Amino acid sequence: MRSPYQPIAATLEKVAEETPNIKTFWLRPAEPLAFRTGQFVELTVPGLGEAPFTPSSSPAVAEQMEVTIMKAGTVTDRLHELQSGAKLGLRGPYGKGYPMEDMYGKELLIMGGGVGLAPLRSLLYQVFEDIDKFSRVMLLYGAKTPADLIYPEQLKEWSKREKFEVLVSVDVGDNGWTGNVGVVTTLIPKVKLNLDKTVAVVCGPPVMMKFATLELIQMGMAKDRLYLSMEKNMSCGVGKCGHCRLGPYYVCQDGPVFTYDKIETLAGLWE
Amino acid sequence: MGEQKLYQASANWLKSAVDALCAAGIEVLAPTQSESGKVDLARVTSSEQVIQSYPNTAFPLKRLFLPMSEVLLEYEKGEEGDVELGPKSAPAKELVILGCRPCDAAALEMLDKVFQWDYSDVPYQEKRDRTTVVSLACSEPSPECFCTSVGGSPQGSEQSDVLVFGGANSAALMQINTAKGEKFIERLADTVTPAPEGTKLPEPTELEQKFDPQKVKGWLDENFESNFWVENSLGCLGCGTCSYLCPTCHCFDIVDEASWNRGQRRRNWDCCSFALFTLHASGHNPRPDQAARYRQRLMHKFKVFPERFGRVACVGCGRCLKNCAVGQNLLADLADIESR
Repeated sequence: MRSPYQPIAATLEKVAEETPNIKTFWLRPAEPLAFRTGQFVELTVPGLGEAPFTPSSSPAVAEQMEVTIMKAGTVTDRLHELQSGAKLGLRGPYGKGYPMEDMYGKELLIMGGGVGLAPLRSLLYQVFEDIDKFSRVMLLYGAKTPADLIYPEQLKEWSKREKFEVLVSVDVGDNGWTGNVGVVTTLIPKVKLNLDKTVAVVCGPPVMMKFATLELIQMGMAKDRLYLSMEKNMSCGVGKCGHCRLGPYYVCQDGPVFTYDKIETLAGLWE
Repeated sequence: MGEQKLYQASANWLKSAVDALCAAGIEVLAPTQSESGKVDLARVTSSEQVIQSYPNTAFPLKRLFLPMSEVLLEYEKGEEGDVELGPKSAPAKELVILGCRPCDAAALEMLDKVFQWDYSDVPYQEKRDRTTVVSLACSEPSPECFCTSVGGSPQGSEQSDVLVFGGANSAALMQINTAKGEKFIERLADTVTPAPEGTKLPEPTELEQKFDPQKVKGWLDENFESNFWVENSLGCLGCGTCSYLCPTCHCFDIVDEASWNRGQRRRNWDCCSFALFTLHASGHNPRPDQAARYRQRLMHKFKVFPERFGRVACVGCGRCLKNCAVGQNLLADLADIESR
């Protein structure tokens, strides 16, 4: 029986800089690695270890995977130094991902903060595939400064798509910035929400998730239609090692995406 | 198994079993005593090394199934930068554990639940499958023991393939609980005989119930925010001794240890008392102080684990209170909670 801890080989095919500390990595696994959008993988840098990341590419493609990663620790520091051709490892996918079927027929509000847009891009690719099943898609994205925005060209491109509204904000602007300034929640009043038929998906740093959630709930958003990415420090990915516990849940296997009604009463939810 | 199968053996059963199993080429772990007096289960090759009388072993069984540091895979970088991520070949040799206590065997139930739900943890399960557990019922519990408070018993047979009563100074009675247990009895050949019909198990050893886990859970359900967590964790060093010696604690971390062109991926014991345990790459830490970490440890054992897996993650062995460097006392803390 194959150990769940055994990765498959993967080759780094291309690297692109998104921001000074965020890069996108194109990986080719030795065998196709199919995933549902919102599921994550454990990426191995031999000698340094492995870390969990949610692919930012289309789930329709199993032969190649894109992962957008911020430089933040031992594994990611080395990743940022690697050139194409480097040999890596992958295992997964893990977790439940986004239940697309439950979102069909609705207006989709997607909120991302910082590098939290990376996994949401995978969701967006899935939405493009299923666009007939959505009446409207709103993307609200915020980053610290204009230089910290990832996928800037794609953001422009997406805003031109039919049914799409894309709003971007930065916490602090610069001389060239003419857009919205303020945390991402300041974009919420700028879209006309039909809450009774809206599904919301939020992914970003804990504090952003907290305030986005509280604001949407206060406005009357249904708790069971609010999807939150509750990522924690994760090690094994298969519900054993104990790092990612959140109340009774293993975030890696029971999540990492939860509807708010499943977790709202958990003590210490936003800690 | 339907009817209970009982066998009898001489007072010397443990030594006979060691010799019979060793002669058959089976790996045997049995109680031994070091020069400093520490009793532990160790690999033995002869009954000379084995002791028959002891309260409990220094370490629980978990390290035999979830080693303190375990190689998950090995890899090597080739000339072209290719990396071979090879699995580590596991030894599949049969192993018999002789003379652990019922609490430590019962703890395997909790480990099984974690390592078998959803994904099967292959490195754990391989070791579990090849191992036969022969426990020794307790007739003289230690002062720190509290198995009866957490659903166990000094004569509990949970996860024991064989449970042995008596021995040391009197004839032994062996209760066979599983197919692995039957195989063990076959190996002992004529040193054991079926117990006469109507043979009864000894009266249970009395051990006072020291707290009610239901009451403890009732308080935990309502008191995520309480001064109790700060007050009772001020002395805690966050050293992890309680977790490392706990038969049911099983948290681990996966790390790479590499030299120039080769390395190993290992899983090492980890502990929710450590500050780094929940630290995010961003620097955010959901459990930033010892009070939050102490709360996690108690909440997990007495609230979350029962909610998820149906029983508390504690078998009442008392190692954590016996070995804490600063005298943290789980039993006293639980009694305190119950009295609130």
